[in-house]
Amino acid sequence: MAKYFFKRILIAVPVLIGVAFITFMMLNVVPGDPITVMMREHVKPDVIENLRKTMHLDDPAIIRFLRFLGDALRGNFGISYKLSRPVTDLIVQAFPVTIKLASTAAIISWIIGIPIGIISAIRQSTIIDQMFMGFALFGVSMPVFLIGLLGQYTFSYKLGWLPVSGFESWKQLVMPALVLGWNSAGTIARLTRSNLLEAMKNDYIRTARAKGLKETGVVVGHALKNSLLPVITIMAIQIASLLSGSVITESIFGIPGIGRLSVDAIQGRDMPLLQGSVVFATALIIFGNICADMLYSLVDPRIRVE
Amino acid sequence: MIRRKLAILLTAAIIMLPVLTSCSSSQTSAPAETKTETEEPQAAEPATTDKILKIASSDNPATLDPQKTSEYYREPLNIYDRLVEAVTVDGKPELVPGLAESWEVSQDGLVYTFHLAKDVKFHNGEVFTADDVLFTIDRMMNPNTAAMNTDFFDMIKGATEVFEGKAEHVEGVKAVDDNTVEITLEEPFAPFIANIATPGCSILNREATEAAGDQFGIDTSATVGTGPFKVDSWSVNEEVVLVANKDYFKGAPQIDGYTVKIIPDAETQRMMFESGELDVFDTSEARTQVPYFKSNPDYKDNIISAPEAGLYFYAFNNSMEPYSNLKVRQALQMAVDRQTILDTMYDGEGMVLNTFLPESVLGHNSDAKEIEYNPEKAKELLAEAGYPNGFEMEIIQVSDSATTLEMNEVVQSMMSQIGVNVKITQVDEATYYAMRKAGEIPVYRSSWWADYNDPDNFYYTFFSEKNAVVRSTCYNNPDVFAGLNEARTMVDPDARLKYYQEMDNIIINEDAAILPMFQMNKIFVVSDRVKEFHIAWNGWSDMSFYDVVIEN
Repeated sequence: MAKYFFKRILIAVPVLIGVAFITFMMLNVVPGDPITVMMREHVKPDVIENLRKTMHLDDPAIIRFLRFLGDALRGNFGISYKLSRPVTDLIVQAFPVTIKLASTAAIISWIIGIPIGIISAIRQSTIIDQMFMGFALFGVSMPVFLIGLLGQYTFSYKLGWLPVSGFESWKQLVMPALVLGWNSAGTIARLTRSNLLEAMKNDYIRTARAKGLKETGVVVGHALKNSLLPVITIMAIQIASLLSGSVITESIFGIPGIGRLSVDAIQGRDMPLLQGSVVFATALIIFGNICADMLYSLVDPRIRVE
Repeated sequence: MIRRKLAILLTAAIIMLPVLTSCSSSQTSAPAETKTETEEPQAAEPATTDKILKIASSDNPATLDPQKTSEYYREPLNIYDRLVEAVTVDGKPELVPGLAESWEVSQDGLVYTFHLAKDVKFHNGEVFTADDVLFTIDRMMNPNTAAMNTDFFDMIKGATEVFEGKAEHVEGVKAVDDNTVEITLEEPFAPFIANIATPGCSILNREATEAAGDQFGIDTSATVGTGPFKVDSWSVNEEVVLVANKDYFKGAPQIDGYTVKIIPDAETQRMMFESGELDVFDTSEARTQVPYFKSNPDYKDNIISAPEAGLYFYAFNNSMEPYSNLKVRQALQMAVDRQTILDTMYDGEGMVLNTFLPESVLGHNSDAKEIEYNPEKAKELLAEAGYPNGFEMEIIQVSDSATTLEMNEVVQSMMSQIGVNVKITQVDEATYYAMRKAGEIPVYRSSWWADYNDPDNFYYTFFSEKNAVVRSTCYNNPDVFAGLNEARTMVDPDARLKYYQEMDNIIINEDAAILPMFQMNKIFVVSDRVKEFHIAWNGWSDMSFYDVVIEN
């Protein structure tokens, strides 16, 4: 068991290097260099040439990648071109913010999604089920930026209940987390419902009913436990979708997290910052998957045995 | 069974740990800078008793170092002073004494002597002397500084040698005594005084700047100037906080400081302004909101506007088919109804230009020949040029600029009336600037705002031999090339400005090299408590807040 997870963690290293390499090469293939973007309207050929030299941008791409790799293995992700600060510092500052946003959003999505899924499954094909599933479909299909702007317009601008942006108080956290969690809530609700329906067809449910258990006991005690397995998987995948969703949410609500850093980095061809953010996000997703596997093996002993 | 349940709970708890601790950890791992306000006021009921001006910006400053940025000048304008300052006096741009109380120019236009203000202190307590001016210029030209504004000093004698690594000090800069600096130019450069009033030429302190090394402009405690505001803190993607410099040599500012919130989305900025979270809304990013504010009784008296020293234009690539054909360019100039675009898109807030110089810039010719809107004649010209059925035209623009797209679409429909089929290609910023630098963009819409009040800043930037390709105008008129170089060295101001007007006529009319569109009005909306909000002479969003008063 421990050996298995150790192996999983070891495999993560080449994955991270590979991801870093692909990002690096992709940014090298697309036209545009960081200095030209930094100078925008004020293009000055002699200045650009000098900057390229001082920032070692005139070295071949492979040399620059190896230099990056060497530094990165020692924990140094370089200095952001655009913000002139160590990438590690920028990520360390932005990470707690994104985690706070993403985890609140995740909790919200479970609190909304799981009960809705259960109720819909129990009341399958009733009007409640159809309403809830319509709601879930709405959640899945609505783009984050649209709910974000609508939320701002309604609750901040029209009603004045919540601040438009910022991230210092819980009031400021409510709306972005809700917007971000909304989307996942839909997915989780649909998944919980279909799994629960699947589980309800099993023999042991009939047995439970035959024992004379109340329907709630049947659902909560027997069906639910067995139907939550795939939901755990989706929670791990959720980390990825929450991270990518936070890119937009953070921009709309002016939240200083990882998502905004990455967008700025891509637009500014800020390679050190982008490399840093991508490697970091990848590590996070790998970690999430390992955690899900662990949970999985705890919930389902059969997996542990294998 | 129980053990298993416990294990599940435990694992879940571990995963949730960051959530539970995130509230406290985000406090402890907050940026190193100390915050003055520990608790942000609840934005829904904003505190209105402070004297802190709250503004928003869509982007982080890249740095607060004025030499290492070519566009983030808001903070430099407030943290530092220049030898000479460009301000608006009675509605006209003027150059007034800054750190230099007075100055003289030699007859031949080569030697400038500056008499510096005494008893001026930097924020770290250091007294400002002539040596700081020497240091500022040496630092800019030193290639290891990796400065972006070397072109503001490269006309000084010996500056290029320093930039090329052949010398340590700029030969043409001398400290006569602690309060006198003598600057000698390589050859006369008429706009020199206007040129050193740009924020890029802000004066730095030798001791503080050298000690800070590459952290200057990044580490807020090490970033000092002589200006009316001091940097207090800067959290990336969050806010930059500046406080008043009570010892400012021209007198303390009337406000206690200003805070810049970094908010990328213009719509969010507007809602924040309307809900009282911001004191100022800059309409530049949201021009379509102008009619709303103008017609809203709550705001219509709080609109502050001034003509911008900047213009919008369509640039044609003069060396690319079919734009290399003069008749084609003339036809394209005639195909665009500029007044209608100004009226419909920008509520008429501006003025159509028939020259490449906005009205408030020296040398503007208000009698320039009108570029008429005449689609019929444009069609004839196209036929004469060999394109009776028009052609395919590609306009390239950055992908995240809705206003550019909107104007391009209007132009697209106007062009279709003369048979030109416009394709709008959107690329990301980095690609766009890379293409433009290589002279590869066929047609683009852009704008230019004055850095300093002189025609050189407009014509040299777009039509000189040095810059024509990197601007993708690919203009190629040797007479104008020579003329633009010559005009830089002309000492007689009247003759010089007249010469620029003649060149403007060649570029815009005879060569039809570019299509000037219009200049616009800079429009801010401010909250009730903000008074004395004076727009910068050039209409930049980056401006000094020294004059601002807050009345609660």
